[in-house]
Amino acid sequence: MELTGYKRADGRWGFRNHVLILPLHQMLSSAARDVEKDSKGAVAVSHDWSQVIEKDHQRIIHSIAGNATNPNIYATIFLRLGTPAEDEVINLAKTYGKTKLIEVSLSEAKSIDKLKEIAIDRANTLLTEAKNEQRVAAPYSAMVLGLECGGSDAYSGITANPALGVASDKLVAQGGTSILGETMEILGAEHLLAKRAVTAAVGQQIIDVVARYEASINYEGIDIRGAQPSRGNIEGGLSTLEEKSLGAAKKAGNAQFTGVLEYAIAPSKPGLYFMDTPGHDIEQLTGFGAANVNITVFTTGRGTPTGSAVMPTIKLATNTEMATAIPDIIDLNSGTIADGTQTLEENGELIYKLIMDVANGQLTKAELGGHHEFNLSRLYGSSL
Amino acid sequence: MSITGFAHKGRGVGVRDHQLILPSVVCSTHVSRKIANEVGAITFAHQNGCGIIGIDVPGVDNFFIDLANHPNVQSVLVVSLGCETIQGPELLPKINRELSRLLVIQESGGASGTYESGVTQAKQLRDNFKSEKAPLDKLIVGLDLSRDIPALSAIKTALTNAGFEVVSENEKVVSEHNLSKLMSAKAQVVLSFPDENQPPTGFPLIPVINIASTSPLHMALASEFDLVEGAKVEEIIEMINAVANGQKTKSELSGIGEIVAPRSVRSV
Repeated sequence: MELTGYKRADGRWGFRNHVLILPLHQMLSSAARDVEKDSKGAVAVSHDWSQVIEKDHQRIIHSIAGNATNPNIYATIFLRLGTPAEDEVINLAKTYGKTKLIEVSLSEAKSIDKLKEIAIDRANTLLTEAKNEQRVAAPYSAMVLGLECGGSDAYSGITANPALGVASDKLVAQGGTSILGETMEILGAEHLLAKRAVTAAVGQQIIDVVARYEASINYEGIDIRGAQPSRGNIEGGLSTLEEKSLGAAKKAGNAQFTGVLEYAIAPSKPGLYFMDTPGHDIEQLTGFGAANVNITVFTTGRGTPTGSAVMPTIKLATNTEMATAIPDIIDLNSGTIADGTQTLEENGELIYKLIMDVANGQLTKAELGGHHEFNLSRLYGSSL
Repeated sequence: MSITGFAHKGRGVGVRDHQLILPSVVCSTHVSRKIANEVGAITFAHQNGCGIIGIDVPGVDNFFIDLANHPNVQSVLVVSLGCETIQGPELLPKINRELSRLLVIQESGGASGTYESGVTQAKQLRDNFKSEKAPLDKLIVGLDLSRDIPALSAIKTALTNAGFEVVSENEKVVSEHNLSKLMSAKAQVVLSFPDENQPPTGFPLIPVINIASTSPLHMALASEFDLVEGAKVEEIIEMINAVANGQKTKSELSGIGEIVAPRSVRSV
């Protein structure tokens, strides 16, 4: 199947050619949204960062700089105040790739209105440039796939998740990259994933990351195995965290794990990876977006409309009932496997084909609906 | 000077007549924004409602309740996803029931169905229930003390003497934490003294009067501040009265300021 994309000057590949409006202070988030609204197709994100040094500082600046330089981005316009804290983020972004980085400063513009005017003008010029870029044939190694689930139900582990695993295995065998996230969602299944690691050391890393995660929750005096599955999961028919995890891990198919990634850090070579992310859908998307992921596939039992500003997000329904009830947020139904009308392999093949079609430019339901949430992930809460 | 506000049943007399589209979870923030943009209501982006644990669950729940019950709010449409931790159907009975409605995306035909019903319901809430004008006996003025103010006690005394009730929060540097707490204390107008290295602030429900220091950043952003430090207390009181009677602040005009719910624990 032919794959086409945008070859970046730094060797990475994008499947979209976005102009991203990225505020570097929460106070500039509303201006970013206004620029999106009044430009001819730029995408903006909002967040709550105030440039104050907190315990999660490194995690936050990697998240912002990484998303600014995602390979799907043609150019990022930073909206900034004119402070040194912003230079740290912009300088970090410059080390991640050769994405065009433009700065519009409020200190120079002097007013929010003028800042927006300048940014809209720059965005429209960049959007015209981006439209003139041509797609070219891309190798399978161009693809960095993110694997995510949200609003899981009792079908997740027998329909959409293993079907996505079929597609992921095929991509990894062809030289692509696939990243499984959500540490909480492998809790209880980590020993099985560790057995599939390429080396014993990588296997131990998987075990260690899960132990570290559980400790960070226990530290708060909470037994996560008691707090999960969530109420929505239970209503969807899941009984225990282990059951949820065994099903969630199936998204990564049966391939060997090449390595373990810290949150928001990109892999250095192709293969299957595990990334330590929260199960929180949007914090996970932000971590993937910062790590060169250029397409995410998101399985859902209950149905959720969310998406990303930097990555097309494909939604797979785990059951036909939900896929039929809310078709405007579902790209492909894997409930057919439980219905008995498709085999796992047949549905997996359809998922693989859809991933390629989306890479080649077909818009996802989340893109059509304009969904692009963005959240910064913190390990220590927002209080200083 | 007298203040005329809006009678909001069950919420008190407010100085603004805002309709709030309240997303109970991050997953419904985009649909909420689309509804709010269409009907001229206010809303906010956030990352709460799901994947939260421990004291953050009641903390965020209470924060949403405080927002929905604030006197500057005319009506509330809660937009829920359906499978989140903070369930919209459970949130609704905890907020003031006057002019409050709920929509659940997973039960309302997805994002597009929710958007269509949301626009219809929000318009009904706004058009069928016009707020009456009413006198406000006691204005609650919030002080955001993100930086140290030499004349603080003089300002507080003058505000009290002018007939205002004064509440203050003094977490240094980060104004949005103070603004959130002042909202929960039902402040209806806020006087903000942002940190020297932080920009002016805003809070969608509440008019915020920003007072600049003489720092290089504040000097560069002078046009986005309402007053400068050293302004006479009479001038401050005059502006509070004007703003309470409807005059828009700089941050209301520019639309700056996000609503940040206090969080203590990581997401899971």
